[in-house]
Amino acid sequence: MDFAKFTDVNELAKMVNISNLAEIPMLPELAEKFEVSLEVALCAALSTLSITFLVSLFLLKAAFGGSAGDTIVFLGLCGAGKTSLFSQLRDGSMHNGTVTSMEPNDDRFALFSERKSGRKARPVRFVDLPGHPRLRAKVDEFLPQARGIVFVIDALDFQLRPTAEFLYEMLTKKIVVSSRMPILIACNKLDNVSAHSVEFIRRQLEKEIEKLRVTRTSLSDGDASSTEVRLGKEGEVFKFTQVKNKVTFAGIIVANNDIQEVERFVRERVRG
Amino acid sequence: MLDHFSIFTRGGLVLWTFQISGLKGSPIDALIRSCLLEERSGETSFHYGHENASYTLKWTFHNELGLVFVAVYQRFLQLLYADELLARVRDEFAGIYREKKYAYPKFDAVYEQLVQEAEAKAEEMKKMKQAQGGGFERKKQVGGGGSAGGRGGQAGGKSGKGGKGGGGEKRGSGDDQDDDGDGKAIGEASEGSALLKHQQSAGATAASGGKGTSAPANGGGAGAAIVRAPSAANGKSSSAFDLSKLRQRKSKSVATGGGGSSASLVGVLSKKASVKGGPEAATGKRVKSMRKWDDDSAVGKIDFSDSADMEASVKALDVKKEVSSGMDVEEEIGAESEEEEEEWGSEEEEEESGKGIAASIRDQAGNGSAYRNGTSNGHAANAVKKGWFSSVFSSVAGKAALDKSDVEPALKALKERLMTKNVAEEIAEKLCESVSASLLGRKHGSFTRISSTVQVAMEEALTRILTPKRSIDILRDVHAAKEQGRPYVIVFVGVNGVGKSTNLAKVAYWLLQHDASVMLAACDTFRSGAVEQLRTHARRLQVELFERGYEKDPAVVANDAIRAAVRNKTDVVLVDTAGRMQDNEPLMRALSKLINLNGPDLVLFVGEALVGNDAVDQLSKFNQRLADLSTSANPQLIDGILLTKFDTIDDKVGAALSMVYTSGAPIMFVGCGQTYTDLKKLNVKQIVRSLLK
Repeated sequence: MDFAKFTDVNELAKMVNISNLAEIPMLPELAEKFEVSLEVALCAALSTLSITFLVSLFLLKAAFGGSAGDTIVFLGLCGAGKTSLFSQLRDGSMHNGTVTSMEPNDDRFALFSERKSGRKARPVRFVDLPGHPRLRAKVDEFLPQARGIVFVIDALDFQLRPTAEFLYEMLTKKIVVSSRMPILIACNKLDNVSAHSVEFIRRQLEKEIEKLRVTRTSLSDGDASSTEVRLGKEGEVFKFTQVKNKVTFAGIIVANNDIQEVERFVRERVRG
Repeated sequence: MLDHFSIFTRGGLVLWTFQISGLKGSPIDALIRSCLLEERSGETSFHYGHENASYTLKWTFHNELGLVFVAVYQRFLQLLYADELLARVRDEFAGIYREKKYAYPKFDAVYEQLVQEAEAKAEEMKKMKQAQGGGFERKKQVGGGGSAGGRGGQAGGKSGKGGKGGGGEKRGSGDDQDDDGDGKAIGEASEGSALLKHQQSAGATAASGGKGTSAPANGGGAGAAIVRAPSAANGKSSSAFDLSKLRQRKSKSVATGGGGSSASLVGVLSKKASVKGGPEAATGKRVKSMRKWDDDSAVGKIDFSDSADMEASVKALDVKKEVSSGMDVEEEIGAESEEEEEEWGSEEEEEESGKGIAASIRDQAGNGSAYRNGTSNGHAANAVKKGWFSSVFSSVAGKAALDKSDVEPALKALKERLMTKNVAEEIAEKLCESVSASLLGRKHGSFTRISSTVQVAMEEALTRILTPKRSIDILRDVHAAKEQGRPYVIVFVGVNGVGKSTNLAKVAYWLLQHDASVMLAACDTFRSGAVEQLRTHARRLQVELFERGYEKDPAVVANDAIRAAVRNKTDVVLVDTAGRMQDNEPLMRALSKLINLNGPDLVLFVGEALVGNDAVDQLSKFNQRLADLSTSANPQLIDGILLTKFDTIDDKVGAALSMVYTSGAPIMFVGCGQTYTDLKKLNVKQIVRSLLK
């Protein structure tokens, strides 16, 4: 349930909550125009009430049902392999390849490997968010429902600064910190000989985030409800172990369907 | 020749590709990243250069299904048919698309066919331009127009008038197949093409049947159109076949009503027009209303063809066509299909105006045609009739697919609102186009008003534009430069009186707060008092000032300052430049020299938030001049924006949007007061909120 729809439903609830028929501006004229009797108007009023009831039910469900939490969110830069991972988990195949995503892929399914082995497992909702920086704002829409984050990194063409900045932003988000959302950092494309090792990437990220801790939070954006939180321990060099969220590293090869680590993480978060 | 054709979802999963040779680089990713995601999808083509390859990309969306279609070809080729091909592939593919199905091997054959037809048609268009014979021209146009919606490109071109029948027929049968089943739909492609040939010839003969009568009446005009003319007798029987088929097809389309079949209805529509023209002209009854009907359909038809001159010429020759087309079909109808005539005739009794018929046909076509008919006259007339009640109904029930006339009023209101917030008109216009492109044909959810759907789409677009696409963490960059043992250089540029020096001092103060050593370079050697002003700031901030007085080349002064900073191990050099109007050639040249000579890390454009339409002009001219006057192949343009006087504008924050959209550079700082501490980051959410308030 995204927020956009949510506000609309709210508006509608307001609209239909007008119980007095005379208050509805066009109704008298309308009744005249269509020559309907008062009985019909009464029916309309009754149906309005029932709609109100249904809508409030719907709202309740949206407010409390959505946070049941079986959502795993894929984050990472463009070209890291998020959409491919999504497709591998769902269909066990990359099909015809992928291009830069413009919209999130959002689907609920049991893992392909589980279906193949004939096990009945609870379906998980996966949201593959586009990596393009322009679409970063989408993250806020899905994070509140997430049970875990898979942060995919391209180990072959490892872009330290943008990756670290993105990861830093995620680690300092209020919602991520307060819910102690576990994060799996999945280094992709390890089959290539010139790919960086997982350990190397981890150390580089720690170094870079250490620097970001100083330079970020330096300029306020004039918004009192700033959503960022300080990261790590003061006066100590940053290590991922200091983060309150559980951060784990894994190596995966999406192209060869070598994604057991991700599957394990998913099943840790959402029991099958 | 198309190098590459790709169909993928907006989520990024490729569904189907066709390619002759491997593409160099990744033009499609480039298209998405630097065009579609930058709210520039209102544009029509995108150029991509990579090493020695240079491509042109064209694209189209199917918003309801969330599909993107991209055609890639060599830049030096002028493929006139690319747009039409995209539209037709889109329509075809929409028919066979199933969610979560990623293999469409049978679409290859369909694609081949579509390309061939499009190429042939383009060829015909070229020839047509050369041979500008009056009657001949007109006939071609009619044929081409009728078939544009359908598959009958070839038939339309070759057999002139016959193309009308043949074109519609061909397309119709293709659709019937598509509707029959998922898998086998395209499986019969080969059979289909056999059928097509048959129908094409049938169409041609039908035409010749008509021509038999029209040739004498029309004289030389028809003579030119006779390309293949078998016997006139043959024409009679085949026209009967044509019409019965037509009826079948009509009922079928009504039953299916899906997106794919709508195009065939257009074919039907055009054919009906011609068929109906016959009896009317012959009997001389109500010729006037008839003409109006035909007018409408003609315009509707033309909407599907891409050639502007075709449209124009058809319109010009409309009346003439009316008469002659009536004559052409006259005998056929009279002799063969009285029953048909009656059917159409009675329908016409009921529906007084052409508008009515157009509307009824639209109803049959359902969703798909509503989307594609968006610009046709008949539809527009229909939309006007929508009252309050139906709009409430559609808002509750959810409308099938949005079309232009639905979105237009909401977008217009939104554009007005953006302009009252001081967004440059040009930008507001482009944005609305882009938002409209992303909405057309999309399923409209229930319990939502169209205006709120549009508003949400606009909000997303605005957030996307204003979210910086790269890091704006200057301190991090300063640290990185320090590690390399060189100073970080920021050049402040802008027009006169926007507050360059004042905000330079604010940035200096902010950097000092974060333990960076700063040097100011007074490169405004143009305006009297500029150096003194900066000296005052330097004294108050207790930072070093580098100055060489007036009458010096600013590029040289900046260069000296940077060298001095290297010697003193200063972290940041802030270069103040003279304010200049974007049209001032000598000063722009000097600025370009300064930037080229010193290669600063950041060229910061200082713009005031009060500016309206001029923001676009300022930024685009600055960027343009910097690019033109640079000697390097990869010139340094404006990297970031400092927005000043932000405290004076209340909620008229449009300049921020105009500047970011024009330059693509992020807003690094916002100046919002008179003291050194009044420097902030841009809050995207707040800006978007006040823009849409």
